[in-house]
Amino acid sequence: MKVSYQWLCEVVDIRDVAPEALAARLTSAGLAVDAVEPRVQGIRGVVVGEVVACAQHPNADRLKVCEVRVSEAEAPLTIVCGAPNVAAGQRVPVATVGAMLPGGPIGRARLRGVESCGMLCSAAEIGLETRLLPKEQTEGLYILPADAPIGADVVAYLHLDDVVLDIDLTPNRSDCLSIRGLAYEIAALYGREVRLAAPSLAASGQPSPVTVRLETDGCPRYDARVLEGLNDGPSPIWMQMRLLAMGVRPIGCIVDVTNYVMLEWGQPLHAFDLDQVHDRTIVVRQAEEGEELVTLDGIPRRLSADTIVIADPDRAIGIAGVMGGANSEIRSGTRRVILESAVFHAASVRRTGQRLGLRSEAQQRFEKGVDPVAVRAALDRAASLYTELAGGMLVGDAVSVRRGAPVDAEGEQIVEFDPLRCRGLLGADVADEQILQVFDALGFTTDRSSAVWRVTVPTRRPDITREADLVEEVARMVGYDQIPSTLPQGATTAGVLTRAQQMQRVTRHTLVGCGMMEVFTYAFTHPSQLDALRIAEDDPLRRTIPLARPMSDDRTVLRTHLLPSLAQVAAYNLAHGNPGAGVFEIARVYVPNGLPLTEQPEERVQWAGLWFGQVPQRVGERARPYDFFDAKGVIEAWLEALGCRGQAEFQRTEKPWYHPGRSAEVVVDGRSVGTFGQLHPQTAEHLDVPANTLYAEFGLEKIAALSHPTLRVNPLPRFPMSLRDLAVVVRSTVAVADLVHAAKAAADRIEPGVLESCQLFDVYRGAGIPEGKVSLAFSFVYRAADRTLTDAEVTNLEHAVLDAWKDAFQAELRQ
Amino acid sequence: MDINQIERELQTLGETAIAALEAAADLRELDEWRVEYLGKKSRLTGISREMGQLPPDERPVLGERVNALRGHLTTAFENRARQLQQEALARRLGAERIDITMPGRPHPLGAVHPITRVIEEIEDVFLGMGFQIAEGPEVETDEYNFERLNLPKDHPARDMQDTFYLTDTLLMRTHTSPMQVRTMERMRPHAPVKVIVPGRVYRRDEDDATHSHAFTQIEGLVVDRGIRMSDLKGVLEQFAKAVFGPDQAVRLRPSYFPFTEPSAEVDIRCVHCGGAGCRVCKQTGWIEILGAGMVHPFVLDLAGYDSRVFSGFAFGMGPERIAMLKYGIDDIRLLYQNDLRLLQQFTRVVG
Ligand SMILES: [Zn+2]
Repeated sequence: MKVSYQWLCEVVDIRDVAPEALAARLTSAGLAVDAVEPRVQGIRGVVVGEVVACAQHPNADRLKVCEVRVSEAEAPLTIVCGAPNVAAGQRVPVATVGAMLPGGPIGRARLRGVESCGMLCSAAEIGLETRLLPKEQTEGLYILPADAPIGADVVAYLHLDDVVLDIDLTPNRSDCLSIRGLAYEIAALYGREVRLAAPSLAASGQPSPVTVRLETDGCPRYDARVLEGLNDGPSPIWMQMRLLAMGVRPIGCIVDVTNYVMLEWGQPLHAFDLDQVHDRTIVVRQAEEGEELVTLDGIPRRLSADTIVIADPDRAIGIAGVMGGANSEIRSGTRRVILESAVFHAASVRRTGQRLGLRSEAQQRFEKGVDPVAVRAALDRAASLYTELAGGMLVGDAVSVRRGAPVDAEGEQIVEFDPLRCRGLLGADVADEQILQVFDALGFTTDRSSAVWRVTVPTRRPDITREADLVEEVARMVGYDQIPSTLPQGATTAGVLTRAQQMQRVTRHTLVGCGMMEVFTYAFTHPSQLDALRIAEDDPLRRTIPLARPMSDDRTVLRTHLLPSLAQVAAYNLAHGNPGAGVFEIARVYVPNGLPLTEQPEERVQWAGLWFGQVPQRVGERARPYDFFDAKGVIEAWLEALGCRGQAEFQRTEKPWYHPGRSAEVVVDGRSVGTFGQLHPQTAEHLDVPANTLYAEFGLEKIAALSHPTLRVNPLPRFPMSLRDLAVVVRSTVAVADLVHAAKAAADRIEPGVLESCQLFDVYRGAGIPEGKVSLAFSFVYRAADRTLTDAEVTNLEHAVLDAWKDAFQAELRQ
Repeated sequence: MDINQIERELQTLGETAIAALEAAADLRELDEWRVEYLGKKSRLTGISREMGQLPPDERPVLGERVNALRGHLTTAFENRARQLQQEALARRLGAERIDITMPGRPHPLGAVHPITRVIEEIEDVFLGMGFQIAEGPEVETDEYNFERLNLPKDHPARDMQDTFYLTDTLLMRTHTSPMQVRTMERMRPHAPVKVIVPGRVYRRDEDDATHSHAFTQIEGLVVDRGIRMSDLKGVLEQFAKAVFGPDQAVRLRPSYFPFTEPSAEVDIRCVHCGGAGCRVCKQTGWIEILGAGMVHPFVLDLAGYDSRVFSGFAFGMGPERIAMLKYGIDDIRLLYQNDLRLLQQFTRVVG
C-alpha cells in the first residue's frame, strides 16, 4: 500500500522521524517498506500564475502568446505556450526563468520571434500521477483551481514535497490498510499519541428517511445516513492530492470523500444516488442465482446466489463490498445521497470478487475484516466532510441495523497471556514490565490480577486472537534481535538417510561417476508429447492428470513419462552447439488410479537417462555417436553399485518407443526393473533428436526392494587361477549371454564354481569368417577353491565347454 | 725370461688397456675389451702362466704385480661399464621423451545438477544435526496444503500462493509445509520430531528471472517440549555457517505465515559484499533467504501435539535461491534450461 508521509504526520506527530528512518523501523516491526519515494523530485521555482491574456502567436498557428501574472505586485510575464487548452482567466503552474523541472532548467527563450519568459506546465511536467488523472487534465496545461493563490509555490500548494512509503503488508495486518491503523502502529513504535477522533455529529432526533432491511446473515451491520444539497464539483485540491499520493483516482467530491475516509479509517463506504433508490429502501440480501447487474464500470455481471447484493425493493443496486451498480451511481447532478457504512461477510466478499475477477479497494478491506468501531466513525467522518466541502446537509439521524452477533466495540477480544510461557516460547528474557509496556503502547489493556494475564485487544486488531499472537506482538515490538541463539535441548537424535533416499543418492552419484549430467525438467507437459512414444490411444501412459487451469498451452497435464522432457533437453543442447552427452534425471511420474481424479495419484520415482549426439572425443580417436553399449555400460555400473549386477538379466523388450532390435528389459531376480535402448526411428524423429539417441528408464522403488542392504566380502582365493582363451565361430544370431550360460553350466557339471569367469574380449567379422557368422573370443578363468588345478584338469574343462558349444550352437573352434 | 722385461711389459700393457678401455664406446666394445685384456686368452693371463718359468724368489714379487694390474683393470672395467650403462639409459630415456603438455586421456566427468547439489549439501548439514529426511506427495489435498495449516478456504492469505488445482480438492502442493502435518501425524505421540523435507512445489507464477511455476523447497520442522524461538535462530545460524561460511550470521525480521506464530523472514549476511552493503542487498548488508516461525498452536493441536505441552519451529527455504546466491546465477530459468555449458561447470565438486 502506498502511504502519504505528510498525512501520517498529521495523525501521529513524527515530523522528527525522517521517512527513511520510519521505513526502517516499520520494516523491523514486520511492516516491510519496499520503497520510500518522494512524490515528485527536482522541481523548484514553479508558481501559481494567472493567464490574464492569451493571443495568437504572430508567426505560428499552434502557439499562443500569453500574459501571465505570477505576482500581485509585478507586471505579467510574456510566455509562449503551445497547449491547446490555454485560455485567459485560468490559473496554471508557471515555471519561471531559472525554475527547475525534472526535464531540466527553464531559461529565457525566443520562440518564432517572440521572447518567452518561462513555461506553462502540464500535469506530467510537474510530475503528477497522470495515470490516475482524468484524460482532460493530462492533455495540455494542468488547470489549477480558480482560488489557487497567485504566486504560491506549486510544490507546496500541490503537496508535491510529500514522500510516499510503499508498504508490503502481510495479509494479517488489514488494520494497517488505513492511515488510522498505521498511525496506531507508529504511535506504539515511537511512544506517541494518535490524533484521530471519531467526529461527533449532533443528533437531530429526526428519523432517517431511509429504511434498511437486512435479509441475509452476510451483513451483520449496516449504518447509513442521508444527505442532501450536495454539489457535484471536484473535491478540494488537498484531498485530490492525498488521493493521488496514495494511488486513488480523484473523481468528484462525493465519491472522493468516500475514498478519502476509507483510506483514513480503513472502512469502505459507498454513496448511492438517493433519487435512484426506489422507496428509499435499502435491502441487503443474497442475489438470485443468475441475477444481473451492470456495475459502475459499465460491465453487466451475472451474479450467483452466494453473492450479497445491496438492493432496493425492485432490483439490485450494488454488489456488497465489491462494487456499486451503475443504476444508482453518483453522477453529475446528484444532489442527494444515501451514504453506506457496513460490514459484510469476509469470505463471501472474497469469493464474489474472485468470481467476477474484481479486486476493488473496498473488497480488499472487507475480505480481511474491518473494524466494527470504525463503521459509525467513518460514516460520520464522511458526512461531516460532505457538509464542510460539498454543501451537504444531514437529513435525519443515522440508521444502524444489525443482524446476528453484535458487531461493535463489544466485539473486543480478551486473550489470556502467560508471561512465563511467552519467555519460554521466545527463549528471550523479556521482563513483565517490558511486556506490559508493549501492550500499553499498542493500546491493549492488561489485567494482571492473576499469574495468567487477561489482555483486552481493541477491535481494530482482529489478527490477535490467542496467546501466540500476543507473543509475536511482544517479540516484534521488543525486536527480534533481542532473541538469542540457542540449540534445542531435548534428546539427541541421529540423522540417517532412509533406504529409498540412499538409493536415490547412489543412483545419482553412480550415474555422475559414469560421466552423465544431471538435469532438472518440468513435471507439466502436453498430452501430445506422448504421441512420439508410438503407444496406443488407450495406453495407460495416456491417462494424464490435467491441470484445472493451466498457465500455458504446452503445459497442461502431469507427465507420465520422462522421455519427452529429456528429449527436449537433447534437442535444445544440440541446437546450441553442444556435440552430445549422456543426461539423466531423477523425478516422479504421476499415475492416477482413475480419471477424473478422485484421490491422490501414485507418484513413482524414476531415473531416466538419455544419450544423444557424439561421444566426447579422445585424442587420436574418431568421433562416434553413442550406441547401445554406451548406455548398457552405464546401466551395468549402476546395477553393480546397487549390488544387483550378478542377478541382472537383459531380455528383449517390446516397448514401442525403442528400436526392436536394440533395446532391452533389465530383469533382476525375475522382476523387471526398467528398460533401455536405442529410440525407435519414428520416436526419434517425432522428438526431433538424432536416430542414434538412447533412452533408459528405471523405477527406483522397484530396485530398492531388490537390492540387498548388506555387503559381505568373499575371502581371497588361496590357489592360483588358470587362464585360457577360446575363439569360436558361431552364427551371428547366437547371443553371447547364452554362450556364457552354457559354458558355466558345462564347467559346473564337472565341478561347481570352477569356471570363475568367462568374458568376451573380441568380436570379429570379415575375412576368413563366413557370411552370417561371427568370431567371438572369450577369456576363461578357472580356479578350484581347494587345490591348484592341473593342466589336464583345465584342458578337460575347456573341452567340456567347447563340446557344449558345439552341441548347442554348432560353434566351431577358430584356428 | 727376465723379470725386468716382464715388468716393463706389464707397465705397457696397463697403459694400453686403460687407453683402450676409454676408447670403448658401447657395451659391446666393452665386452670385447674384457675378453682381450682380462679373458683367458689375454696377455695378462698369459703372463700369469709364464711366471712358472721364473725363479721361485721372483715369483711372488711378479705375482703381486700381475694381481695388482688385474685388480686395477677390473675396477676400471666396472667403472667404465657402469658409466656406459648410464649413458645408454640416458639415451633411451631421452628417446622416450613425450610431450607432457598433450591432454590426458579423459575420464568423462558428470555433474550433479546445481539444485540437487544444494539440496544434498543442506540435507547433509541437517543430517549432521540429527534431522531425518522425509518426502511427501506433490499432488496434495486442499486440506493438507491449506486447511490443516490454518489456511481455511476463502482466507486472504491464500493469495500469497496462487495454486494449480487439479480438482476442487486436489492440487499441486504450493509448499512443502503439508509435510509438517503429515510428519507429525506419522510421528505422534513421539518427540522430538526433527525432520527436513526437500521437494518440488508449484505455483501459478509467470516464469521470469526470479519466479518459476515449478521450483523446490526444503521444509524444516522441530517439535518437542520446550522448543524456543531462540532454538530456531541457533539452528539456522548453524545452517548458514555450514552452507555460506563460518563468518555468517542470521537476522530475523517479523513476518506472517498462517501456520507459524510468531513468524519471521530470515536474512543472512550478503554473500556478495559480506555485509558492507551493495546493489545485490540493496545496501542493507543482508539478504532474505528463508521464512520461518514457531509452529502455530492451531497446527500443532490439529496434528495431535497438544500446544500446551509441545512447541516447535518450522522453516522453509528455496534451494534455487541458495544455488543462485552461492554460484552467482542471476536468472532462475537458467536452472531449468539444462544447458550443458552451464551444467558442465558443476563437474567441479568443491565449492
Ligand atoms: Zn551486499
